[in-house]
Amino acid sequence: MSLTVPYKKFPDPSGAGGFAYYAAIPVNIALPASNSPRSKRFEAIIDSGASNCIFHADIGRAIGLDIAKGAPLRTLGVAGPTSVYAHDISLHAPGGIIAVRAGFSADLPIAGLLGMKGFFDHFKISFDATALACTLERIYRT
Amino acid sequence: MPAAANDPRLEALRTAPLNSWVALSEDETKIVAVGATYDEVVKNSEMAGASDPILIKTPKDWASFSL
Repeated sequence: MSLTVPYKKFPDPSGAGGFAYYAAIPVNIALPASNSPRSKRFEAIIDSGASNCIFHADIGRAIGLDIAKGAPLRTLGVAGPTSVYAHDISLHAPGGIIAVRAGFSADLPIAGLLGMKGFFDHFKISFDATALACTLERIYRT
Repeated sequence: MPAAANDPRLEALRTAPLNSWVALSEDETKIVAVGATYDEVVKNSEMAGASDPILIKTPKDWASFSL
């Protein structure tokens, strides 16, 4: 199964036309137990520069996580190192549910990042700057 | 690069409050609710009758993302 998703425009005063393109898709997350209620759909950016999937702590709390009880995880961004808390969750993404150990942070400026571990390792992903679209092909491992 | 004109989603995000949560309509053309937190925007979007909104967290300032 493959899915082509047009890039989304986000305001960016420094960008041509006052915007920038990002590859972003709507996802839900839930606790790992089957039939756990999902979060509302939220938009997460597909980010090959992120080692892990990271979501805003508000969403984690909403699905029932005690954020601070997660395993502390140090991450390094452009602004320097920061701490997030890792929890096992279910990521509802194109092609079905993925079991992910994701980081949660109240300091994340956006709702979510889909990173290398937990997202890129479940898809073949191509970014097409001419078509302004991203194509996701799910990998199913036996 | 295409122009930003006639992009209701982009215009909606430009008018969205910063450092907040916004709920976009299913067709992503307009904001149906805002909130200071995820829980608040979910509650407000339900009160607005939005059945399946897309939630977006806005940053403190719009700028290039280097996360």
